[in-house]
Amino acid sequence: MIFNFNKKYNIFGIDVYILCIIFILMIFSLLGIYSAGNSSGNSLKYIYIQFIAFFIGFICIFVFSKINYKYYEHSYKLIYILSLIILISVLIFGSTKRGTKGWFDFGFISFQPVEIAKILFILSFSSFIDLNERKIKKIYFFIFSLIMFFVHLILIMMQPDFSSTLSYFPVVLILFFIIGVKSFYILCSIVFFIFLISVPFFKIIINSVLILETFQEKIITVFTNVIFFLKTGYKIFYFITILLFLIIYCLMFLKKNKIKVKWFYIFCLFCSMLIGCIGSIFIEKYLKDYQRKRLIVFINPNIDSKGAGYNIIQSKITIGSGKLLGKGFMNGSQTQFGFLPEQHTDFIFSSICEEFGWVISQLIIILYFVLIYRAFVIAKKSHDRYGYLVAIGIATMFCFYVIMNIGMAIGIMPVTGVPLLLLSYGGSSVFSSLCAIGILCSIDINNRYY
Amino acid sequence: MWKLKNKFNLFGTNRHNIVFCFFVFLFLCISFRIFYLQIIKGNMYKIISEKQRFYNIYEYAPRGLIYSSDNCILVNNKFKYILLYDSSSKSKNNLSQINVKLSKIFNRKVELFEDKKKRYGKSTRFIDNLTLKDVFKIQENNINLYDKINIIKKPYRVYCFDDMTSHLTGYTSEVTFDEIKKNSSYKIGDYIGRGGIEQNYDKYIRGKNGYFQFETNAKGEQLKQTTYVLPKIGANVYSTINSKLQKVSYEALKNSNTGRGAVVVLETKSGAILALLSLPSFDANKLGKIEFYKNFINKRSPFFNRTLQGCYPPGSIFKIITFSAIVDILNIDILDKKKCDGNFKLGNRNYVCWDKHGHGELNIVDAMSKSCNIFFYKYALEVGIKNLLEYSKNFYIGLKTGIDLPNEKKGFLPIIESANTGGKHWFKGDTLSFAIGQNSLCVTPLQMACMMSIVANKGIYYTPYIVEQIKDYNNNILYKHEQKINGMTKLSDKTWNLLHSSLIKVIETGTGWRCNIRDVKISGKTGTAQNYHGNDHSWFVSYAPSDNPEISIAVIVENAGSGGLSAVQIAKKIYNVYFNNIKIEKY
Repeated sequence: MIFNFNKKYNIFGIDVYILCIIFILMIFSLLGIYSAGNSSGNSLKYIYIQFIAFFIGFICIFVFSKINYKYYEHSYKLIYILSLIILISVLIFGSTKRGTKGWFDFGFISFQPVEIAKILFILSFSSFIDLNERKIKKIYFFIFSLIMFFVHLILIMMQPDFSSTLSYFPVVLILFFIIGVKSFYILCSIVFFIFLISVPFFKIIINSVLILETFQEKIITVFTNVIFFLKTGYKIFYFITILLFLIIYCLMFLKKNKIKVKWFYIFCLFCSMLIGCIGSIFIEKYLKDYQRKRLIVFINPNIDSKGAGYNIIQSKITIGSGKLLGKGFMNGSQTQFGFLPEQHTDFIFSSICEEFGWVISQLIIILYFVLIYRAFVIAKKSHDRYGYLVAIGIATMFCFYVIMNIGMAIGIMPVTGVPLLLLSYGGSSVFSSLCAIGILCSIDINNRYY
Repeated sequence: MWKLKNKFNLFGTNRHNIVFCFFVFLFLCISFRIFYLQIIKGNMYKIISEKQRFYNIYEYAPRGLIYSSDNCILVNNKFKYILLYDSSSKSKNNLSQINVKLSKIFNRKVELFEDKKKRYGKSTRFIDNLTLKDVFKIQENNINLYDKINIIKKPYRVYCFDDMTSHLTGYTSEVTFDEIKKNSSYKIGDYIGRGGIEQNYDKYIRGKNGYFQFETNAKGEQLKQTTYVLPKIGANVYSTINSKLQKVSYEALKNSNTGRGAVVVLETKSGAILALLSLPSFDANKLGKIEFYKNFINKRSPFFNRTLQGCYPPGSIFKIITFSAIVDILNIDILDKKKCDGNFKLGNRNYVCWDKHGHGELNIVDAMSKSCNIFFYKYALEVGIKNLLEYSKNFYIGLKTGIDLPNEKKGFLPIIESANTGGKHWFKGDTLSFAIGQNSLCVTPLQMACMMSIVANKGIYYTPYIVEQIKDYNNNILYKHEQKINGMTKLSDKTWNLLHSSLIKVIETGTGWRCNIRDVKISGKTGTAQNYHGNDHSWFVSYAPSDNPEISIAVIVENAGSGGLSAVQIAKKIYNVYFNNIKIEKY
């Protein structure tokens, strides 16, 4: 292993690689936010808040790393209830920002409790599946753990905060996968989610086509959209990965059963499809107009290049125009003249890419990767399965943040409001991420000595 | 130490590694995509980002002038001022306030409204034709307006000879969307030449637009002016046109009995075009007014350039070619005679000469000067259609002359192969009508002028041209015409001599007697071309002086009847001016 664990590289017992990564990311975050805030004239205010968030976050790392994570395992019910209390209280006492009732406003600072709830959910959920490991083959266990997840989902949807719910899905799926839930169940849940999302997705496409008058036009638009979708080659990666995974699962499934397919499984599969379809109707109703448009422009941003597609197009231009070495700090025309929207929050990666170039953007990706790699190493070193699950859960969440946000910036993911881990402006996300890293460190410290 | 549940060993890895590999794959995808965007497509995106960052207010470059060979300006420029309104700027002045202010300045009611077309970048055009006085008035009265209003100078074309030279200079109009697609160097709002010299030499004439470049933010607000690039004036064109000849031919043709037709005056020793006129024509100065667009529906088709595009049956002037074929092949002497009694029978049909009484016994020179049809019928049958076609090809009938003007037609020469094998049969009667320039044969006036200069040069065919040279404002020569021999017509010396002497006789005693002027010997041939559109076209082709040819002229007057009447008189007026005014000035 390249980053071989060594006792020498510790500060207060905390893995020095992780600390370095956080520190470098913090610097880029502050630089990026300073540059991005310049056009609106708020750069100092943003930097101030971000710095405070990092400062509190660093304290949290040390605090959480000193708390043994094993305490969490047995009080998982308490933790889960605590997360529910947070989510319910924000629905009652929270203040509304941009149509989302998801903020505790303390006057001088406002805080988004969903971020904390996610970590609490990871802690309690992994504890639950760890303690009930023996029942893992039972379907009621599977359904019960899903209910645990859905309660959170529904509470967050009531805010409504669609993008925050997205990060739950990969965490739950990966944890199921790791603990050894039957692949079939995971297949079912994937099918379920695919149907849940794809039905409104296709309905949107069809609706956008139905507006046209003649039949010929309709056919042509469908074809051009599909062809555009296929032509933009990187999107094929998606299909290939999804297809490969599905095929592998199917193969394993058939191999295990010696090609005897039980009717029960098929029934289950169709049930999940059906439930997915039914659920999708609600989701379709729930989707707001701007979300619909975002899905359309994901297929072809040029359909609405001045409206919903503007973000994607400008973001791509911003990243691309940085080229190898960038335009220089505070010199990016896209950022400084306000062509890039949401430049200090969602699209901060584009802004950094423009001003610092390809070298730095790759460095940032490598830093993220090393962070996730460290989390995996910590997970593997863990003596008990709970630590392993929590570490994997946190790593998955981090990975999802990074992939969704950067993918959105470079146009291979639909636009969602997922913040970029440790780089985006936003106190609560930085704070909660650093808390999660603190828990990771705690797992690391407590499993260091045999 | 606990162990993972490795129930399904996939390719020897456990689930931990599967998840990890999946993450690695996702990161690789993102990494490659960023590589693609920043390194492979970086330049493209950089250009796009620069484009949306800057915006230019163009200052149009004046197009180059067009001069005639006697240093008259054929096409000139004048300037007008345009008021632009920047609808996106930060200034507090709104539209109605500006209206009030401008009304005060001009002492009349000014009503401005936003033009949605946005021809001038992000600004909109308000007042098109401001004079310099108005501009100063605005500048004196109100400085506050200035952050919202830009005034740019825009040149426009002035055609000094109105409709006299319109076919040879052409005109300019705004470039169309398709043309921008074809040639990306044009932008919306640019002017492009259409027809004539303006079109053919557009790349030299049009110059390069200058611009004020502004930096803008995403909202379109002008932040600061970054650069100013001066417009580059277009190069001047020095044409071979002689304004006096052009003018006299215009007046002569206009005063002829129908007023429709074409005149081409060529310098025989170089191929330079001294006058090129097609009537009726249009006045390019009136572009943008209703009068101009009425030309499109005018049945006299003023936009039709008859000199290059008009295909007419040549009529008797084609006898020059028939003559050369007869003399060259049959080796006829001046002593060989045929009789013309007004009638010629071929099969069942009776072919008549234009003189019903007949011309009696004729030698070839007399037949030419009297333009006797029967004489040529008889010999044409002896020569045969194949040879006649061969000789027409020798005189480059049915081929483009290669003049440097756009949209030239090549006329039509019947193809013997198709006439012989299958399809239409070629009868002997067709040969007869072909020999006197009728049948399906048709030619352009320019081709006929070229044919005359071939005859005058004893076979040397210079490519006709209209632009002598093009110079930019620093007097660097960008283009210079190189005299080019387009072809060579080979006939025996005897044929040339006979042809020349008979062409002189046409003027002295024959059909073209009206063209006689003092002290100058002129050779020529008249023609009366029958056609489907009404009265006969009146042709006259000639060159002068006969012993040392300088210019050749082809004149056609549409539907004017006999060639000896109207066309000849026009040519005479041109020769008068050439020999009495221009030539005297030269020496």
